[in-house]
Amino acid sequence: MKNPDVLEGAGKKVVLLGNEAIARGALEAGVGFSACYPGTPSSEVGMTLASVAKKAGFYFEWSTNEKVAFEACAGAAFSGVRALTAMKHFGLNVASDSVFPVAYVGVRAGLVINVADDPFGHSSGQSEEDARRFARIGNIPMLEPSNTQECKDFTRTAFEISEKYEIPVFLRTTTMVSHSVGTVRLGHVKKPKTKGNFVKDFERYYCIRPVLQKMHERILEKVEKIEREYNRLNRIEGNRKSRTGILASGVSYQYARELGLKNVKIGKLGLTFPISRKFVSEFIRDLKVLIVLEELEPIVEDFVRAVAKDVNPKLKIYGKDILPRVSEYSTELIRESIAPILRIKKPDFRKQDIQLKKMKLPTRKAVLCPGCPHRSTFYAVKKVLGENVVWAGDIGCYILGIFEPFKMQDFVISMGSSIGITHGIKKVSRQKAVVFIGDSTFFHAGMAGLANMKYNDPNVLVVVMDNNITAMTGHQPHPGTAFGPAGEPKQPIKIEDVVRSFGIKNIKIANAFSQKELQAAVRELDKKPGISVLISRGMCRLLLKKILKRKGQRFPVFEINPAERRRLDVLDKFACPAILKRKGKYHINPDMCWGCSVCSQIAPPGAIKPKGAWK
Amino acid sequence: MLADSSSRGNKTKGGMEVNSMVFNILLTGVGGEGVLFTSVIVARAANLEGYEVRGTQLHGLAQRGGQIPTHLRIGKEVYSPTIPRGEADLILGLEPVEAARECYFASKKRTCFVVDTYPIVPVYTRLLKEKYPGMDEIRRFISGFAKNAVYVNASNICAERFGDPIYGNTMAVGVAVSRGMLPLRKKSLIEALKETAGKRELENDIKALRMGFEYKE
Repeated sequence: MKNPDVLEGAGKKVVLLGNEAIARGALEAGVGFSACYPGTPSSEVGMTLASVAKKAGFYFEWSTNEKVAFEACAGAAFSGVRALTAMKHFGLNVASDSVFPVAYVGVRAGLVINVADDPFGHSSGQSEEDARRFARIGNIPMLEPSNTQECKDFTRTAFEISEKYEIPVFLRTTTMVSHSVGTVRLGHVKKPKTKGNFVKDFERYYCIRPVLQKMHERILEKVEKIEREYNRLNRIEGNRKSRTGILASGVSYQYARELGLKNVKIGKLGLTFPISRKFVSEFIRDLKVLIVLEELEPIVEDFVRAVAKDVNPKLKIYGKDILPRVSEYSTELIRESIAPILRIKKPDFRKQDIQLKKMKLPTRKAVLCPGCPHRSTFYAVKKVLGENVVWAGDIGCYILGIFEPFKMQDFVISMGSSIGITHGIKKVSRQKAVVFIGDSTFFHAGMAGLANMKYNDPNVLVVVMDNNITAMTGHQPHPGTAFGPAGEPKQPIKIEDVVRSFGIKNIKIANAFSQKELQAAVRELDKKPGISVLISRGMCRLLLKKILKRKGQRFPVFEINPAERRRLDVLDKFACPAILKRKGKYHINPDMCWGCSVCSQIAPPGAIKPKGAWK
Repeated sequence: MLADSSSRGNKTKGGMEVNSMVFNILLTGVGGEGVLFTSVIVARAANLEGYEVRGTQLHGLAQRGGQIPTHLRIGKEVYSPTIPRGEADLILGLEPVEAARECYFASKKRTCFVVDTYPIVPVYTRLLKEKYPGMDEIRRFISGFAKNAVYVNASNICAERFGDPIYGNTMAVGVAVSRGMLPLRKKSLIEALKETAGKRELENDIKALRMGFEYKE
């Protein structure tokens, strides 16, 4: 799919994804440097920047993890080059160790951090955390766009604030903003400055007391000034004389507008840290009733309650008492919750509810692709080791091994945690344990855990599922990939070299598409004491599909011997989406078969062959 | 081209005003069928005609066989990126069960359906011992939420014609336009295809769109 819109000329109206609009905003701000680690819902910011970096003349890289990416951006900004990084909420957990001190020392060019929260967990497990708390921990300004136009405009403003006050600035989005599409009117792209110099400044970078306290004071002063100067990012709409108010930010503001409420004063916050005390005071002074709309934590609400004590103590404030702290909001949910307060009518869907319940639709969950190397690896490991094993899971496509028929992700906590947690389990339990970790995750946060594991030496099998790419987020390269963000050749770091350098002796590398190799390797490593590492290597089939498509080639397609269709129940343990069962007979859908051949290896000999073998 | 129909634009007694000049399109299907591609085509065509566009594109599971409902809203002024319940004007389902799953957003007085009848049976249907409903059952269910519905085996037709069912999505868009269920000009859609499709696919995509324009049940 071609996507040229992000480089269109000024004044043009184009439809962009929120994340593309953020990338465009960075271009308009003259970004000279960008480094990211992918994570949905933020990945397309980096993907868009990667796709235009060469043409627009700035530097882009996919870094090993979010902390490293942020640090690289901080280094550029220390040296006077504008920088942007984008990450999902959990990425900020990783990066935060460096984010807070960088805010203290400050930057010499704009430094913007896009952090994308994912309430509801459209594409994240683990937790529904609210990144707005980070702004408060670190005293770091935070802007919150509510649609794609604002994604672009606020990115520019974030650079402006950052550079003017020499402080990193958060641009906080949620899935419904990052992954919303919308019309964007474009501004001028600024020619980037990509070279600078680090200027030594003892007073500035030396964060030890008593300078530390001066820095703390300075950051508080900056935040105070920003609160005053950037009150213009907040605005009042609707009926300004109304005694009923709604205060909203992010996509909640759009839902509120969607309701088309008359006789309500609407306050929209664009700057959610620091929240302007002046703005809130003026907004609530004459109100009788206020409804605060914000997803997740009651952060704006708590602030407003504190201000109201001084300004309007009688104000009736509604927030998390009528709306949930969990999951996301929607137009319907807000309407339902505020209808009794505003005495508005809501549509009656009782009839439809009854109708909807009548139809039982089959479950559709995400599934490992046809031909996925992970499916083959899961199958082989279980075939050899059986069911009575603790299966440690991690973050990546293989998380889909959580579902039937594998159920081989007993816990999934955070990037790289499979190794650390299994280490703890093995030190207290005699259970057999197997770690599953992907290649990108291994580089991201797996290596430190593995070093610890080797040093303290429990008896564990670590399976590195190496598909040569960061697959789940849309095929970004990592240090083990032989090409860079623009497809240019790179010297990859081999995972086996890393593992060997730790002094781990029991290492096997197996072709992920060969059951024979995989099962033999698992059998052999299972007998060895101490830590063993199996690298199951096979390119992501979806990536290979793209590569073949570019060359005008296709996968070979496999077919089941018509005489064998009934006795292939073993295929249910493999669960390839290309294999169907109709009236007791198994079939392979030729439109979906990606020719990995693994089903032919696990079926009785000769039952499955490449297409045409029985003609 | 967006008409202010009588069923919309009414003010309720409580002072609410239903967003009256917005046309809501819900595209759905299974990862790999080209739902996102279709949504980009429609969004670009609407942009070419000068409409404001808003919507969602949830990418996380796009390629992994999951369901991917994609909302698109076009009009003069649009707020929420998601379609409010019951307010879809067109549900374009590239897979029949997924079309049925989106009936939450449909209503009898407002919603038209274009459904590609090419079923993609989830692997879990077998593993969880569930049942994949028959086409008659799906049609009956959808009819309870549809002002009008067209069923077309677009993926199969395209598989026969081009050796690849992937063009079914573009054909389904063509069907929606020719039935007056999608208020965009044919010309804008062809223009949007030219802006979007890769070199290798463009020719077939335009053919598939035209097959949709000319499709008769």
